[in-house]
Amino acid sequence: MKTLIQLTVNGEPVEAAVDANRTLLQFLREDLELTGAKHGCGLGDCGACTVILDGKPVNSCLVLAVQANGRSVLTIEGLAENGKLHPIQQAFVDKGAIQCGFCTPGMILSAKALLDTNTKPTEIEIRTAISGNLCRCTGYQKIVQAIQDAAEAMTGKEGS
Amino acid sequence: MLLPRFEYHEPTTLEDALNLLHELGGNARVLAGGTDLLVKMKRKLEKPSHVISVARVPGMDQIIPRNGHAVTIGAGVTAAELARNELVMDRFTPLAIAAGKLGAPPIRNRASIGGNLANARPAADFPPPCMVLNATLKLKSAKGERDIPVNDFFRGPGETVIEPNELLVSLHIETPPPWSGGSYIKLGARKAMEISMVNVAAMITLQSADGPIVDVRIALGAVAPTPVRALAAEDLLVGAIPSEELFRKAGEIGVGMCSPITDHRGTMEYRCMMIEVLTKRCLTEALARAKAWKP
Amino acid sequence: MRDFQVLGARAPRLDAPAKSTGQAKYADDLTMSGMLHGALLQSPIAHGKILNIDTSKARKLKGVRAVVTAREAGLVKYGVSPARYDETLYCHEKVRYVGDEIAAVAAVDLETALEAVELIKVDYEELPAVFDMFEAMKEGAPQLHAEFPGNVTAEVHQEFGETGALMAQCDLVVDHTFLSKRQDAAFIEPHSCLAVFDLQGKLTLHTSTQVPHYVMRTVAMVLRIPVGDVRVIKPCVGGGFGPKSEATPLEMSACLLSKVTGRPVRMNYTREQVFLHSRARHQFYAEMSLGVKKDGTMLALRNKAVLDGGAYTSFGIATVYYSGSLLGGPYRLQAMKYDGWRAYTNKPACGAQRGHGGVAHRACFEQLLDKTADELGIDPVEMRLKNVMVAGQATINELNMSSLGMKECIEAVRDGSDWKNKKGKLPKGKGIGSACGFFVSGAGYPIYRSDTYHSTVVIKVAEDGGTVTVLTGSAEIGQGSDTMLAMIAAETLGIPLECVRVLSGDTEYSVDLGAYSSRQTLMTGHAAKEAAESVRRQIAEVLSVHMGCDAAHITFRNGNVLFRGGPGDFEKLRQGYIKEHRGWTDPPGGDYLTFREAARLAFLEKGTLVGTGKYKPPRLGGAYKGAAVGTSPAYGCSAQVVEVSVDLETGQVSVDNMTDAHDCGLAINLTSVEGQMQGSLSMGLGECLFEEVKFDSRGRIINASLGEYKIPTALDMPNVKSIVVESNEPNGPYGAKEVGEGAIMPTIPAILNAIYDATGVRINELPVTAERLYMAMKEKEKKP
Repeated sequence: MKTLIQLTVNGEPVEAAVDANRTLLQFLREDLELTGAKHGCGLGDCGACTVILDGKPVNSCLVLAVQANGRSVLTIEGLAENGKLHPIQQAFVDKGAIQCGFCTPGMILSAKALLDTNTKPTEIEIRTAISGNLCRCTGYQKIVQAIQDAAEAMTGKEGS
Repeated sequence: MLLPRFEYHEPTTLEDALNLLHELGGNARVLAGGTDLLVKMKRKLEKPSHVISVARVPGMDQIIPRNGHAVTIGAGVTAAELARNELVMDRFTPLAIAAGKLGAPPIRNRASIGGNLANARPAADFPPPCMVLNATLKLKSAKGERDIPVNDFFRGPGETVIEPNELLVSLHIETPPPWSGGSYIKLGARKAMEISMVNVAAMITLQSADGPIVDVRIALGAVAPTPVRALAAEDLLVGAIPSEELFRKAGEIGVGMCSPITDHRGTMEYRCMMIEVLTKRCLTEALARAKAWKP
Repeated sequence: MRDFQVLGARAPRLDAPAKSTGQAKYADDLTMSGMLHGALLQSPIAHGKILNIDTSKARKLKGVRAVVTAREAGLVKYGVSPARYDETLYCHEKVRYVGDEIAAVAAVDLETALEAVELIKVDYEELPAVFDMFEAMKEGAPQLHAEFPGNVTAEVHQEFGETGALMAQCDLVVDHTFLSKRQDAAFIEPHSCLAVFDLQGKLTLHTSTQVPHYVMRTVAMVLRIPVGDVRVIKPCVGGGFGPKSEATPLEMSACLLSKVTGRPVRMNYTREQVFLHSRARHQFYAEMSLGVKKDGTMLALRNKAVLDGGAYTSFGIATVYYSGSLLGGPYRLQAMKYDGWRAYTNKPACGAQRGHGGVAHRACFEQLLDKTADELGIDPVEMRLKNVMVAGQATINELNMSSLGMKECIEAVRDGSDWKNKKGKLPKGKGIGSACGFFVSGAGYPIYRSDTYHSTVVIKVAEDGGTVTVLTGSAEIGQGSDTMLAMIAAETLGIPLECVRVLSGDTEYSVDLGAYSSRQTLMTGHAAKEAAESVRRQIAEVLSVHMGCDAAHITFRNGNVLFRGGPGDFEKLRQGYIKEHRGWTDPPGGDYLTFREAARLAFLEKGTLVGTGKYKPPRLGGAYKGAAVGTSPAYGCSAQVVEVSVDLETGQVSVDNMTDAHDCGLAINLTSVEGQMQGSLSMGLGECLFEEVKFDSRGRIINASLGEYKIPTALDMPNVKSIVVESNEPNGPYGAKEVGEGAIMPTIPAILNAIYDATGVRINELPVTAERLYMAMKEKEKKP
C-alpha cells in the first residue's frame, strides 16, 4: 500500500505516492530523478547520500520517504541558482576539492549546513562537520581549504 | 540494499502510539531516528511487519528544564541536539560529550537518545552517561506507565526491560549537586564514525572545590553484555581526597567489574588494560570539571 | 627555457562544475526505458563441489525475465593475464570462496531479482578450505585449482649480481620481516553497470571501470562476440584505485542477461559485494636482509615474499613480480636476490591496488633501512642520500631511471620538515620518521601480449575552427586525466584551455589501455600531443601556401598564429573568414590571425580537420624471466617525513604532520598533482593505522562495510605539506610523468619509522592499531 506524501524539494512542492519501505534516497534518485545524492553504502557509513532535511544534513539512505512528509529537502541540485554555482560549489571547483566527485554532493551539503549556522568555522569545526562524509581521493585537505574559502567568500558578500 | 516490506504507522498523539503498540505488540518496531533500526532491517536482522514512527508524537523531541532541579529529555531528542544544548553541556556533561562522539553529524542529526538506549548495544555511547547521571526512564503503555532507573534497564546485548507494548517516552535526570562534574571517554580507531572498543563515563561530586569526594559514579561500556557500574571502585573513592594514585586504583578495581570479550575490534586483555587507563583519565577530567563548578 | 602557456598552471578541472552540481552522471545514475534489474547468486560457502543447481522456482517467479548459470554462459576461461586464465563467469564444478558467482537473474525490478536469487537452490558438497597463505602452500592442504598444484599461482626466483658473495663482504647485515593485511580500495562508488544490446546485435556497456579497453576485450571473449561489436562507455567513475582494472562478473552478467532478454539490464554491487569481489590489495609477507658497508653504503639485498592471492589469479602474477622488481631502486645496489610466491586461498581474489605489489615490500625495506642506519649510528636521511640513484642510472634489475629527482625530494622533505632540529630531539611519545619510494609511470607492456599501441588519440577541430575536441578511450576516474589531456592539446595547439573539449572513456573513440599503472599522463599524454601536432601541422601547411611562408616558421600561441614570430600580412585571410561568417556577430579581431580563422581555412581546403596520435613504449627491460614487470618509460619518486604522537597509555597514534615531496617530471596541473599526493598519503595512512579486511573461521568477511572497514575520516588526516619537485623526463610528454601511485610508497614506512622514534618499538605488522602498539610497548618494557 502506498502512502501519499507532500514535501518541499529544492523549494518546489512535490506530491507523490510512495511505498513505506522506500528510502528518501531511492525516492529522490529514482522517482524524482535527482541523482546528485549518491548511493555509496546504504547503511549510513559513507555520507555520499547526504541531503539537507529541514536544515540538517542527514543520510538519506536511512530516512524513509514517508518520514519526509511535510518536510523540506535540499539536494545538491537545489544549490546553484540560474546556472550560477553556489559559493561553496565554486570554491570546490577552484580549490581542486573534487576528484572522483562521488562524495562531492554530500560533502558540499554538509559544508552548507555548517556555514548556515557558523559563518567562521575553525578547521576542526570544518573537519568535524564533514567527518561523516568519507572521501577516498583527496585526503580532505583541499576540501577543508575550499570550505574555508567559501566561508570567507560568503561572509565577505554579506558584509558588503 | 533494499528494505523489506512493512506497514508504516505515524501516530500524532502519544495515545495513538500506545494504542498501536498495544494492538501490534511484538509485530511492530518503534522507529525514531532510524540509524539503528533501518540498518538492521536492511541487513535482514529484523523484519517487523509494522513500523511505528514516533517522530510526530508531540514532546518526544524536547528537552525540558525542571526549575533547575532536573531535566526531562524526550526519547526522540537527537544526539546533535544533546551535543549542542547548553544546559546539558553545563550540568549533564557526560551526556553532551557522548552525544558529540556518536557517529558523525549526519548520524547525530537523526540518532535519538531513546533509540540508542533501547537498542542496548553493549558499545552504545549513551548508556554509560545516563548511568552516571542516575537517569530514570519513563516507559508508557496503553495500560499505564512505569519509571525504571537506567541501572535496571539493560538485560543483555540488545535486550532491555521494555515490553513489546511499551514505549520509552523520556528520561528524567536530577541535576547533580554543587561541586559536581563529569566526563565521557571513548576509545576507538578513528576520530569519527566509531563504535567504542571501551567507553567510560564518570561523575564526581565534591564537598567543595578542594574537599573530599562525597559522591561518585563510574559506568563502563563495551566491556560486558550490558554497560556496568564500577561500584567497588566508587566505594573506594567516596569520602577520599581525590588523587592520581586513588584514580589509578579505582581503574584497577574497575577492571574487576568487567567481563569483556575478544572480538575483531580488540582482545579481552587489551580492553581490560584500557578500562584501567580510561577510568583514571575520565575521573581526572570529571574532577577538573567538579572543581571548576559554578552556580 | 620553460615557457608554457597552459601547462604548469593550476587549472580548474573540466569535470568539476558538473560534479559540484550533481549533474555529472555515474553508471548508477543512468536509466533506460524497459530496463531490467539484475542480481547475482554468490556462494555462501568457501569451498565446495556444486552437485546441482535448480533454477526452476526462480524462473517461475512473476517478473523474472531470465536466469543464467554456467549452462547458459558457457565455460570460456578468462582472467587478467592469459597465462593464468583461471576463472569462468559462473562456477560450474566448484565454488572457491564465499562470494563466488553461481548464477544471475534479470527481473522487472531489483526486489524481484533478489527474491528470485533466493529461490535458486544449489546443492553443495562442502570441501575443506584453506584461508592462510602459509597453510595453503603446505603439503596436504586443500587444493583450489587442479591445474595449479600446491596452490601456487606463481613463483618468482631472480638474482642480479652475486648476492651471497657480496653479503660476505658486508660489514653489517640486518634482517627485517613484515606482514601487511588484505586491504580494500574502498572507493566510494560501488561498481555499477548498464548493458544493452541493440537490434543489430551490437552491445553497449556503460560501466564504472578504469579500463574500458580491457573490459571490451574480456566481455567479447567470454560472451563470444566480435570485439568490434562491443562498445564500452565509462561514465563518471567514483574512484578506482586498482580494483576496477579488470572486467567483473557483474559487467559480464549484465551483458549476458541483456543478450538473453533483449532488454537493457542494470546491475550494481552492494557495498558488501564490493568487498566480496575485492581484486584489491593482497596480504604480503616480506622477509629481507640488507648488507652494507660501515659507512652506510648498501651492497646487497635479499628479499622474500609470500602473497595471499585469494581464489583466483587476477593481476597476481604481476603483483608477485612487482614485490621484487620495485626494490631495485631508488638506491644503488650491487646485488639483489628475490624469491616470491603467491598462494591461492579460499578467499576473494586479490588484484592491483595503488602502488601495485610495491607498497608492503617498500614498507619493509624502508624500515630495514632505518634499522640499519640505527645500528651504524647514521642519520637515516643521510643514509638515504648516500645511496640514492640519480637520473641516467639503471637499477641492478635493468630499470632505467631516465629522470629521477629522488635526492631533491629527500632534501626537500628534510628541510621542509625541519628534520635536523627534530630527529632524536622530540620528547617520548613524539616521533619523526622518513622514507622514500618510486613507481612506474605506465607499465612497459600491455597485460595481454601484443604489439598494440597503448594509447591512440583523435583530435578533431570544429568546422568553425573555434573548438577542439580530444577523443580518447582513456579513463578519467577522478585523477584528472581529461583536464591533463585538454591542457596538453591546448599547449600544443597554442590555444586557450577553454577552447578544448575532451570526450573520453569510450572504446569507440580510440584505443587506450586505461587508468592503471599510472600510465595515462605519460602515454595518453604522448598520443594527445602527437595528435595535436598533426592538427597543427595540417593547419600550418595550408597557411604556408596562402602566406607564402615556410610551414616551419608558423607558430601558434595564445590562440594566435605567428608568422616568423610576428603577425604577418594576413588581412586577405581575415576578410575571407569574415565574408564566410556573414550574419554572425563574432568577427575575429586583433593584431594576429587567430587559430580559429586558420583552422577554418584549413577545413575549407581539407575537410574535417582530424589529427591522430599514438604511443607505445620502446622495447624495455632485461632479458631475464619476468623482466617485463617493473619496466616503464619513466619512474616517479617520492620522499616523506611524518611526525606522530603516540598515546603511551593506550597505544593510539595520531599523525600530526606530513611533509611530502614528489618528482612528477613536469607538473602539468599543479592542483591535480597535489591532489594525487594528498590522496595517496591518506590511503597509506589508512592502510598503516586502520585498514584490514577480516574473515571468520569459515571464510566470511566480518567487516564488509565502511563502518567496520575503517578508512580515514576528515578528522584522522592531517594537512600535508606538499612539495612538487619537477624534473624533466625525456620520455614524457613535455617532460611529465606519474604521480598517482608513487606518492603512496613512503607513507607506511615513514609512519612506522616515526612510531619507532616515538616509542622505541618497531612494529612489523599492519595495521598499527592502538592495541598492537600498546602490547608491543608492554612487551618491550618486560625485556631488560
